[in-house]
Amino acid sequence: MKTNDVILQTVTRTVSFIILLFSIYLFFAGHHNPGGGFIGGLMTGAALVLLYIAYDIKTMAKVLPIDFKNMTALGLLIGVSTGLGSFLFNVPFLSHSFGYFYLPFLGKTELATAVLFDLGVYLTVVGVTMTIILTIGEDNE
Amino acid sequence: MAVQVLLNFTLAFIWMFLNQSWTPVDFVMGYIVGLALIFVLRRFLLTPFYFQKVIAITKLILIFIRELILSSVSVIKLILRPKMDFRPGIFALPTDLKSDWEITLLASLISLTPGTLSLEVSPEGNVLYIHAMDLPDTTEAINQIKDTFEKAIKEVTR
Repeated sequence: MKTNDVILQTVTRTVSFIILLFSIYLFFAGHHNPGGGFIGGLMTGAALVLLYIAYDIKTMAKVLPIDFKNMTALGLLIGVSTGLGSFLFNVPFLSHSFGYFYLPFLGKTELATAVLFDLGVYLTVVGVTMTIILTIGEDNE
Repeated sequence: MAVQVLLNFTLAFIWMFLNQSWTPVDFVMGYIVGLALIFVLRRFLLTPFYFQKVIAITKLILIFIRELILSSVSVIKLILRPKMDFRPGIFALPTDLKSDWEITLLASLISLTPGTLSLEVSPEGNVLYIHAMDLPDTTEAINQIKDTFEKAIKEVTR
């Protein structure tokens, strides 16, 4: 049975951007407000799943030529390297610090190394959820 | 293209709503985040990624400034000569540009560069008549310059 998904696809085309924006907001909100890498990554995964539901796997492979397994590996690498980075300053593994910097344009900004660790979490969560869902979805037998 | 710009602005405003801060800095941050999202999902929208047009327009402006400086220098060299031994002339430039907007832009750019002046567009709109201050040695070179303008305009409009 062939159905016309025009409404779903048109709505998805704008709504997915708003969900992705919200996931990025959640990712950066994590330090002082509810949010963080895990929920942000899941929200990004949800937006991608919506895209995969509205379109098919073949179209999405063209739109987003990303290997989600590599994304997981990259996320884990970032997570481990922020931990290893603390050795450069002679402090124990996974010590994190933060500071206030005066950036051009942005003004006084608090930058924390925990955000980099969160980025690793984010990429890993997106990679793992998408790998699970796509592996189930691609099974034709 | 306009739809994508509108979407980008909407995303920037949603970003400001989410962050509950209404400063220009947050608007620009939201705009950049939205631009990145549109870039990642650019193949999924029906029209080409709009920022390529913005880059093409910037390129056209930079090419125009470069030509302006180069031709100003050559005109200064001409007018500071003790003898007026250069030869002005009029030549026809066949152009592939179609729409009124493109031809007007090309003619304006040619007129704004010193040393050349667009006089007339042929009734069919495919030939531009251009007056050049020093023609004999530069016909080929000027045609080449028009190719750079024409190519840059095509990148903007197509």
